[in-house]
Amino acid sequence: MIVFQDVSKVYPNGTRALNHVNLRVDDGEFVFIVGASGAGKSTFLKLITCEERPTEGEILVGEQKLTELRRSEVPYLRRMMGMVFQDFRLISNMTVFENVAFAMHVVGASSREIRRRVPYILGLVNLQDKARCHPRELSGGEQQRVGLARALVNNPKILIADEPTGNVDPALSFEIVDLLNEINKRGTTVLMVTHEHSLVRKFRRRVVEINSGAVVADSCNWEVPQ
Amino acid sequence: MMKSLRYLLGEGVRNIWSNRTMSLASVGVLVSCLLLTGAAVLFSLNINAAMKSIEGTNSVRVYMKEGLPVLSAVKTGSEIKKLDNIKSCKFIPKDDAIARVMSMLGEKDAALLNGMTGKDNPLPDAYQVSFRDLSKYKDTVAKIQKISGVGSVNDYSDIAAKLTKLDHIVTTGGFWIVLLLSLVSLFIISNTIRATMFSRRLEINIMKSVGATNWFVRIPFVVEGMVIGLISGILSSGILRLLYSRLTMTLTSIVRFSPIAGGSIWGRLTLVFLLAGCLFGALGGIISIGKYLRKEGGDIVDW
Repeated sequence: MIVFQDVSKVYPNGTRALNHVNLRVDDGEFVFIVGASGAGKSTFLKLITCEERPTEGEILVGEQKLTELRRSEVPYLRRMMGMVFQDFRLISNMTVFENVAFAMHVVGASSREIRRRVPYILGLVNLQDKARCHPRELSGGEQQRVGLARALVNNPKILIADEPTGNVDPALSFEIVDLLNEINKRGTTVLMVTHEHSLVRKFRRRVVEINSGAVVADSCNWEVPQ
Repeated sequence: MMKSLRYLLGEGVRNIWSNRTMSLASVGVLVSCLLLTGAAVLFSLNINAAMKSIEGTNSVRVYMKEGLPVLSAVKTGSEIKKLDNIKSCKFIPKDDAIARVMSMLGEKDAALLNGMTGKDNPLPDAYQVSFRDLSKYKDTVAKIQKISGVGSVNDYSDIAAKLTKLDHIVTTGGFWIVLLLSLVSLFIISNTIRATMFSRRLEINIMKSVGATNWFVRIPFVVEGMVIGLISGILSSGILRLLYSRLTMTLTSIVRFSPIAGGSIWGRLTLVFLLAGCLFGALGGIISIGKYLRKEGGDIVDW
């Protein structure tokens, strides 16, 4: 569960990125976050990952009040989350297997656990045959699936996808969101930032529109807010 | 935990290899710093040993006036013996003195002094006088100088003072040079590690995004610094040992000088070098990664 209670964020240069935002995302929901560039979507994500702290208001992730979270506790909060980026963010000199395993090394998983879990996750994103390939040998869609596998490998409760289809062919975009949909069906909360209205229309999920730092539309209806 | 540690140590070593030019520069500067420190320490130890040996002999050489007959010299000797602080007073005839000089010069060069033996010996007769109480050193020397027939007294207290002064200069100068070089080493090491960090910023960002603690991010860079330090420690200890043995070999063949033997000193010096190298390396790593994590490294990505 993610709850924003009257959250505002003002940056030191005076920019008001979010303005009295109230929002609740329940466990297991799939939410599209839409909005123009500079609307406040990035700040919204940064506040969830505790990269930024709110100037006003309260944020809850699970049972955790983020305003009370100490700096040293932030890594443990992030272990509940998986992140998928628009530009994939894969390490070029590592194989697909190593890229995914890297996320497990970071949280101190054992080699045996890594050897067992990574092939399973690669199978989930249909990349079991590409484990030994390097990112440059993969298509954009495949690279994003590696990114998705990395985000999922530590079994997160929340998956945050920042325009995951932004660098992928339109035809493959549906494939990526299909995968996110499958992951959501297994109980993972998915927050997906997108500009692609066709995806929002096709997948008929909750849509939150942020504009000028405020939630201007929150619809469980699949229609794209105007 | 052990597996994570092994992974992190491996990452630290990998950092050095992938950034080998800068690592080499760091090793070079750190080796110079450690070499200078070691050289200053060895110099100081040798000076101290020399001073102890002078103090240990507790004695002065008293030269008779030129052309003083042997009988008068003997009389002068008994006058010296009468003084209250005299422990021993041994006569050294001038023939023995020239023979000793010739033996020090070696066979080839000693031939040059062949014409200076017997009557033509320019050296005076002398007494090797040792004292009971070193605190009365100056006073006793002054009393000896007043005895008739005494030409000069080879007063080692002056040499001891000079050695002390030299030791002080080397210690003080060495301290500042080492301090300066230490700062330069720290700067170079932290920049080397910063370069590695820059080339691995994507990995750091990903680490942060999946929940790596700051220590997890730090350890490979601290290991990198420590390995650089260890390599520098081993290298500088080896180089210093080699240089010291060559230098003392050359010096002992030119002047009468008994340098301190390696033995236990090398063990301790190597240990200090390794520890200092590790400390400098770790500090360099901690400084650079600390700065990075406080600034851009705290961010996950540009959302």
